[in-house]
This record gives sequence, structure tokens and C-alpha cells, in this order.
Amino acid sequence: MALQRYASVVDGTIPIQALLYTDEQLLASQEGVGIYDGLQKSPSHQAGIIHTTSHRLFYVDNKDPEYASFTLDLAYVSQTEYYAGLFTSSPKITLYLTGRGLNATVTSTSGALAIPGPASDPNGGTWECEVCGNKNRNPPGHSPSSTQVCELCGVPRPTTSTSRISPSHHLSSSLPSSSIHQPNPITPSTSPPTTGRQSSTACPACTFLNHPSLRECEICGTKLHPTLSVPEQRTKSAPATRPTSPDLDDDDDDDPVIGSERKLMKVSFRKGGDKPFYTVLKRSLKSKAWEVPTQIYKPSTISSQESETNATNRSGISGILRTVETSAQGRDDDLKNALQDLEALMIKARDMVRLAGELNEKLTSAASSSTPTPTPTPPTSSHSPSPSPSLSNPTTPSSSSVALSTSTNPSSLHELPEEATFIRSSLSQLGLQMTNVPVTNDMIKDEDKWISELAKELSTVLKGMMRDRGIVALDEVWGGWNRARGVALLPPSTFLQVIPHLPHHTSPPIHKRTFKSGLTVLHTPPYTPNAFSSRLISHLITEGPKTTMEVAIIEGITVALAKEMIDDAEVRGDVVRSDVEAVMIDDDGRGLGLGLGVGEAGVRWWPNLFAGYIWDGHVFSEEL
Amino acid sequence: MALTTLTTHKTPSGFLLPSIHSAPPFFTQQPNPVSQSAVTDHWINLILAYARYRRLFILRVEDAETAGSEWDEILRNERIRHRMPPSHLSTILAAMVQRNVAAYESPKQTRSALVYWRLPEEWADVLHRWAADTGQLNTILTFYDITDPPLESPLSGIPVLLLKKAISILSKSGKAQTISIADGEGVRFFAGGR
Repeated sequence: MALQRYASVVDGTIPIQALLYTDEQLLASQEGVGIYDGLQKSPSHQAGIIHTTSHRLFYVDNKDPEYASFTLDLAYVSQTEYYAGLFTSSPKITLYLTGRGLNATVTSTSGALAIPGPASDPNGGTWECEVCGNKNRNPPGHSPSSTQVCELCGVPRPTTSTSRISPSHHLSSSLPSSSIHQPNPITPSTSPPTTGRQSSTACPACTFLNHPSLRECEICGTKLHPTLSVPEQRTKSAPATRPTSPDLDDDDDDDPVIGSERKLMKVSFRKGGDKPFYTVLKRSLKSKAWEVPTQIYKPSTISSQESETNATNRSGISGILRTVETSAQGRDDDLKNALQDLEALMIKARDMVRLAGELNEKLTSAASSSTPTPTPTPPTSSHSPSPSPSLSNPTTPSSSSVALSTSTNPSSLHELPEEATFIRSSLSQLGLQMTNVPVTNDMIKDEDKWISELAKELSTVLKGMMRDRGIVALDEVWGGWNRARGVALLPPSTFLQVIPHLPHHTSPPIHKRTFKSGLTVLHTPPYTPNAFSSRLISHLITEGPKTTMEVAIIEGITVALAKEMIDDAEVRGDVVRSDVEAVMIDDDGRGLGLGLGVGEAGVRWWPNLFAGYIWDGHVFSEEL
Repeated sequence: MALTTLTTHKTPSGFLLPSIHSAPPFFTQQPNPVSQSAVTDHWINLILAYARYRRLFILRVEDAETAGSEWDEILRNERIRHRMPPSHLSTILAAMVQRNVAAYESPKQTRSALVYWRLPEEWADVLHRWAADTGQLNTILTFYDITDPPLESPLSGIPVLLLKKAISILSKSGKAQTISIADGEGVRFFAGGR
């Protein structure tokens, strides 16, 4: 029967995980299933748990787990059928099995399954390398397909579709002993010639696919296996040439009725769970984890993990997912590497800056030591603001200052300052501005120049930014400026240092103004407190009271900015406010119909009526 | 709308409201201390003038909360639809007390105050002159005799609290003496050493 032929007994008392190959994965389990052996119920397998893995099906019996449990290689399953169940009939999955099976040669009249021993798998997972003759053995715990490369020489196992179930194994080695009981119709002499199926021959040494008619490899000259064209040699251990398709075996059964019965098995799901289980099973069958890629040649021994990865890579959704995963992994790694580079660069840059600072310090001290006793008068002359000719050169601003500071000692002027100037100017050209270096007189002179250059640059930036508005917030200016610079961005501290220099470089002059809230802006003359207030008052007098929002619209500035400016005008006493709170609200709510806002938004601004007001109310004529 | 020129307004009671009373900002408490002190000054002037005109002695924060009080003519301006918010009035009351042109009716609250459109010292003068003019020196008078005389006097309707303050000022200079009588307190005025 089918079970005897294809299944092998496992000890169901062992947890299922312990029974798996290392490269095998448990995919799904379902309890409450019964097994049909062929078309009949198998009496000893009527209540148990079925597990499907990437390689096998396991049935663990509830009643007698030790002896009634079995495992079935998925490789035998050629086709499946799903039956959804009807009334009292449970859903079933029918598995059509092909191939010779494990126990095809063992006839057993009892219902018990054959116990797989060394005899039932005579090869024991070993195969002989074609090139070096080394007998390779599967490492224990691995699925039979996991070692596909010779351990000794690294040549791949020379079958196109290697699997343990290939009937050739039985043919080649176990047949002589078993043929007593069941003569096998396939004998080497009667097997149909299969040369037509093979279009090219792979070289056993370099794997180059040679034309079938060649006897020696085109590339490396290795003698090609002659089995391809010589039929009688096919019986030897040359698996590549053997018919691997199990179809050939299908019609070799003596009795067609028994044959068909033998070749199917049903799983009845008495407690449901059939659909998900079937989906998993189908996927597992499709991915064919037991097959291994023979076309991929790896110089080193393929680990079981890798071979499995390759196997799953090939087909189905899992393959796609795997690909996505690996590419994501690769991207991640690349990114990490790139960031590491950046970090390293940053660390280096810090070192560079520090080095520059130290260098500068040393140079300064050296320069000062080389001018040991300057007379009191020369330094004052060097402090004088009159610029020396070299100061006009902006690229080497430090050279002039060094020259200035050391000009008192003509002997050292030509030796040390040369180098110092060079180093300092190259440092400044690198953009390594020294901030933590003690500021000396010459440094200040440098910085002044630098700042004023920056102010000039900023003025051009502002010309664009303030083309159609007279007032702009400081943070916006800073951001815009740095965006315009692109490189060598400036810290806010430097920015703030530059601002006081702005009015000298802009026309109309741009000034800084800080509001009560701390908001700081740059503005053109129309936005000075005085100018704004007088403009606002004249607006209010001619057009009546306004809310902050209305003022913002008139001025074309943001509401927040308008509020700041009006608040400032209020503090100066130029305007007064009228709150919504003071508006009378009738019972019918007519007071709200004026479109008043609430809180600050409802405040209307008036010119200051109180300043200079003279009492024009009731006057008492006589004193009582 | 152009800013309307502010004009004075005569109330039904005949009181001439100042032009500033028709400016909405006048009713709002100004955050600017300078502006607010101007607002407060003008309000105090207005309140004292109106109190004197209408002979009102007590101003309460409640008067600003609901319509219908005798202060409505100044605390509310129907023409510009503005009113005095109670919080603002309370601030102004505090300023009046601080400037000694008003006193809280009882010391533990700030919701109502006596408005001194005449200072207690002035009231003392008025009181003494009235007693002298009406020939009631050296006579014992009840408070009721003073606050509600058969003949209309400048003292008609004066709160007892204010009256007591005036009497106590007079008694300090020996021009009056409080006497306990059967139905409460009485007072006797003397010519005094002028």
C-alpha cells in the first residue's frame, strides 16, 4: 500500500522539532486528522496531528505515537487534490504519489509500516565524487540534498536533479538483493536510450557545457564522461545520464489497480484547519526545498543554509520575498558603511581643527618669543588702524597681521613668519577658522576684516530677500544666508556679530530690532518704531480703528509681526486699545454681529485719545 | 469708517458727558501704564462730577455688571454700544481709594465704596455751617434729623457712615460731641473757637 511504500516510521514521542533536518522548517500543523491509505481508511492512523515542513509530512498518532507515526517525503508527491467535504464527510487532501518509494522492494503483508533501517536506504546519503572518488556523506541532521559539493575537491554533485528518491539509487545498488522478491522491470538493457534528452555535457572539472559529441572538454581538456553516448555504461554510477523523471516508473507496476491504490493517500481533516494547511502544503510543494541548485557552482563547500537559501530563491512568493530581503539587507549595509565613513571624517575633521588650533598657538608663541623685548613705541604704531599695503589682500589676511606684530624684529621677520604665514593662510583657506584660540591683537584685526566681508556678503543676500518687504525675521535671514552660502555655514553667533556692521553696507540701511517677545527682525527705515507708529496713527485717524489683522493686511506683514509692532506702539503710548469685553451685548446677541473676534483678535486699535485730552464734560458753576 | 470726531453729550438728567466718553478705548483697561493712568484720571473726574451732580454717595462694582443702576448714564454708553467692564471699574475704585477720593464702605471688601465728591473734612465744614445757619447749635440732634431734615439741605441723603466721619472730625476740634440717646446716637454741635 501507499503508506508502506512511501512512508517511514518515526518515533512520535519525540517532539517534532527534534525530528527535523537542520535545513528543514516546520511550516504548519493540524490536529484531528485521519489517514486514508489508498482509498481505505488506515485503521491505525485515525487520530493524530499532521505537520508539514519544507521537506516532509509528519503524522504523529495520538494513540500510539511511538509506532503508528510516520513521515513522508514531499518529493514523492506529484499532485494534490482538495476536497472541501460534504455533510458528514470531512474535508480531505488527496496526495498522489510517484516514484518507487522507500519500501518498494519490501513486500509486507502486515498493516504495519516498514521500519526504515540502513537497508531501506542503502546509500545512506553517501555519494561518490566523480572527480576524486571521495565518498561524500551527508552530515548528520541534514537533509539528503544539503551536501551537493564534494567535501574534498569541491566539485558539485553531478546530477541535474539530485534527490534521494531518485530510483537510480535503488537500481544501482539495492536492486541485486531485492530483486529476489520483486523483479524490477527496468534493467539496464531495456531502459530506453536517453541520449536525445541531453543536449550538452558538463565538464566534471570546470563545469563547462560541451557539445555532446566531444570527448574532451573544450576548455580544460579534461576527459569527458563517455556515458552519454555509450548506453551500456549508463548503469554505472553516472547519475546525470539516468532517467530521473519518475514517470518512467509509473507504468512499471504489475497490477494497475494496486498501482493506483498504492499511489495515493488521503488526509482527512476531522477538526477543520484543512484550508490553511492545504495552502501551506501547496507552497511547500512548489518551493521544492529538497531540490538543490546544481547549476550554481560554488568553489567552497556550500553550507546547508546557503543551499537552502538558493533553493528557496528560485521560485514563488517566498523567492521574491527573499530577494527583497537580501536587497534591503545590502542597502542597509551600504548605508551603514557610508555613515561610518562620514563619522570617521567628522572625527578627523575635529582633529584637524584641533591641530590647526595648536599650530596657530605655537606659531603665535614662537612669534612672540622671537620678539623678546619690543620697545613700547613700536607696538602702538602697529596697533594703529592705518592699513598696511598687504592688508588689502583678502586671501592672506593673517600674513599682514603677523608681519605687523613681528615687524619690530627685522631679523626674525624673514624666517619664522614665512612659514607661519603660509600655514595660517592655508588654514584659513581650508575654512578652519579658529575660535578657541586666545584672541590676540592680530586675530582681532583679522576677524574685523572677516566680519565686514561677511556683512558685505549678507547685504547682497538681503537685497534679494527684502526686495518686496521691509521687514524680515532674523531666523529667516540666517537660514536664507546659509542656504545661499551652501558650504562653510555660519553659526548664529557669527551671524549676530555681523549684523551690527550691516548698515554700513546696505542702502537704505538695514537695522536690527528686537521686540518685547524676543523676536528679532531686520528692517528697513520705514519699520523703525517712530516711522511705523506715525504711519499707523495716520491710518487709524483717517480710516478709523483697526484690528491687528487689518493692520497686518494694510502693511503686508504677518499677523504675528503686526502684533509685535503694534504692541510696541502701545508701549510707546502711540495707540490705545478697545476690548471686546467693553462692548455691550444685548439679550438678542446683537453686539456680536459686528464681526468681533475674541481675546486679542477682537482688540481694535485707536490713536491715543487720552494724551492731551482736556476735560470738556460737566462743569459746576458754583461752589457749594 | 473715518474716525468720528468725538462730541460731548447731554444726558436725560442734564449732565454733560465729556467727549472722551464716546471713545470706546475709554472703557477698556489699557495695558500701557501711562495710557491707563490717563484713563483712570478721566474716569475719576467723571465719576466724582456725576456723583456730585446726582448726589450719589455709593458706587458698587455691581453697578457695572447689570443695567438699571443710577450710574448707568456714565457706566454705559448706548450710542457706541460700550460699557464699563466690572474688572475695570474695580481697578478704578481701587485707584480712587488710593487717592483718597473714595473709601471702601467696609474695610474688608472692595466691591463698594463711598465716593468722596466732598472730602470728609469738607463735609464736616458743610455740616457745621448748616447747624449754625439753621440755629441748631447746642441742640441734640439725631442722625436722622441731619440726613433727612424737613427742609432740604446739602446734607440730605448723606450716608450715616460719612456723617459719622464728619462728626468725628468736628469733635476732634471740639465743635461737636456724640451723645448716646434712647433711640441710638445723637450729636450736639458747638460754636467752637473759630
